[in-house]
Amino acid sequence: MTTKTIKSISLALVLVALCGCSSKDSTSTSNSTSSGTTDKSGATAKHLKLAFVTNNASDYWTIARKGVEAAQKEMPNVDVAFRMPADGSPAAQQQIVDDELAKGVDGMAISPTDPKNQTDMINKAAGQVFVITQDSDAPNTNRACYVGSDNEAAGKQLGEELKKALPNGGNVMAFVGESDAQNAHDRIQGVKDAIAGTKIVIEDVRLDHADHTKAKSNVADVLVKEPNIAGLIGIWSYNGPAIYSAVQDAGKVGKVQILCFDEEDDTLAGVKAGAIYATVVQQPYVFGHDSVKMMNAYLNGDKSAVPANKLDYIPTLVLHKADIDAYKDKLNKLRGKS
Amino acid sequence: MTKKFSREIGIFVLLVILCIFVQSMNHRFISVTNLANMARLIGMYGIFSIGAALVIITGGIDLSVGSMFALLGVLLSIALVEKHWPAVIAVPAVIGVGAFLGYIHGVLITRVKLQPFIVTLCGLLIYRGLAQFIAKDETKGFGEAKGFEGLKSFATGAIFGVPIQFVLLIIIAIICGVLLHGCVYGRRLYAVGSNEVAARYSGIATNRIVTSAYVISGLLAGIAGILFAFYTNSISPSTHGSSYELYGIAAAVLGGCSLLGGEGSIIGVLLGTALLQVLQNLVNLLGIPSSLNFAVVGSVILIGVVADRVLSRRRVR
Repeated sequence: MTTKTIKSISLALVLVALCGCSSKDSTSTSNSTSSGTTDKSGATAKHLKLAFVTNNASDYWTIARKGVEAAQKEMPNVDVAFRMPADGSPAAQQQIVDDELAKGVDGMAISPTDPKNQTDMINKAAGQVFVITQDSDAPNTNRACYVGSDNEAAGKQLGEELKKALPNGGNVMAFVGESDAQNAHDRIQGVKDAIAGTKIVIEDVRLDHADHTKAKSNVADVLVKEPNIAGLIGIWSYNGPAIYSAVQDAGKVGKVQILCFDEEDDTLAGVKAGAIYATVVQQPYVFGHDSVKMMNAYLNGDKSAVPANKLDYIPTLVLHKADIDAYKDKLNKLRGKS
Repeated sequence: MTKKFSREIGIFVLLVILCIFVQSMNHRFISVTNLANMARLIGMYGIFSIGAALVIITGGIDLSVGSMFALLGVLLSIALVEKHWPAVIAVPAVIGVGAFLGYIHGVLITRVKLQPFIVTLCGLLIYRGLAQFIAKDETKGFGEAKGFEGLKSFATGAIFGVPIQFVLLIIIAIICGVLLHGCVYGRRLYAVGSNEVAARYSGIATNRIVTSAYVISGLLAGIAGILFAFYTNSISPSTHGSSYELYGIAAAVLGGCSLLGGEGSIIGVLLGTALLQVLQNLVNLLGIPSSLNFAVVGSVILIGVVADRVLSRRRVR
């Protein structure tokens, strides 16, 4: 076989692999083929093509997807393409946004992967169609509104719980993937604001770059370095399970207070077992639902659908041991599990 | 002997110096808990690093390992939690899939004559995508599922206080060490890596030897993949094991393997893996800002390699 053939076969394989990776991230839930339907008020709502773009592919977004689907059922005039960049990179997201613009969508709800550096992408899209951000905001762009959690407020909620868990204060270590991510920064800032003036000290923030093995070994190392650490905080969703697992391995359940964010299965199990004091959860279902609802209302002429401050905060919830069973039932229904 | 293992002695000295330094800064370094934590990680990383080294010795490279962890982890979780397969079937099946994927790599490289880099790069992309697709982009895990408690406690347990991951690594290292340094197979592996054409003309079935290295690499990735899955207890298909292949390659090269093939030893890989893990541990124990983690690891590796170069030049003179 000549070198040329080898090269072309290699190229073809790479292309096939790349297509394989990207074709699966697009699924459009087609709902309406008619060009106009009548809403409750009797006025004819325009048929709208909308796009909902996530920042990666994870369980979290399967819940948001249910919200989008529920909104579609309520509003048969909209057709939403739910798109997840498989590798969670800004490049993959850019491609999806360009695709959707080319397809001629009327509105788009984006969760920017790198808000600070995606100003151009968002502004370009906002110049052509109605654009809102969801889940993660890019306030310095021309987006019409943000629908999602207030991460700083969520951090404060966790800080308040931390004060209850550690009434006498103590040293606390925080764990996160990247500290320069906006949501990580806001959550940590919120915790710091809440505990200001108390005897609780956040000693350091340990990074794992989203490597789950590292997330767990970081905790194990901290437990070795400081056997008397009073509290451990998990900032990103997988940090909760990683902390819980490392604390179990070290036989320190009950001796250190754990607080975390989000609703991974092991986090909920830890809260239920009493090993995790509390977890603060977001409501991605509501983001999904409300984003579609807002885009539909605005594009049908209801300008009041967008709040004056361009921020539609969906509250975060604190879950304790007693809340877990009910919450899990709700979650399983949303995820389509029984 | 001294000359043959001079590289390994160099890295061993570096490792000892590093350990003494960390211990002097934080006496908890040599505590039972910390040693057990490290042994666990060295075990998991070491097992697949040996596979990476065997492939590198043949002059190839395996970039697919990290994605394979995601795919195999997802398959293991589905088999045990959703399909309720007994552990005695699920575990060999998952390891078998790893070995089979390695076999495919080997065939594409030796029969279709593709470059190992391209073949395993495609593997990296394909397995990651498959893992995400099969898992429907959901995190798979073992949670509180029942029916495989024995396997779980085995994969996360210890024998006489020594973590099982480390025990498995030692067993695998001994087997591979004998295979590589004490058998005809090993000499053939080195011969193929040094000069494939010459090896073929001297009657070695080079295709079979090269393929076998990828099969072993896949098989060891299967074993390590199971251990990683139980260590994290959850497999998020988009990130699980991401870029771990580089840790394997780094451990092999640190331990004396040449990327050109034909050089390297099992003991070197073990030392390389240990060095990488001690570095990770040091960052946490000494309270070095986490953001400097990669920089510290990169710098120490560079110092090690430079020192090795300088010393070996002196020896030649």
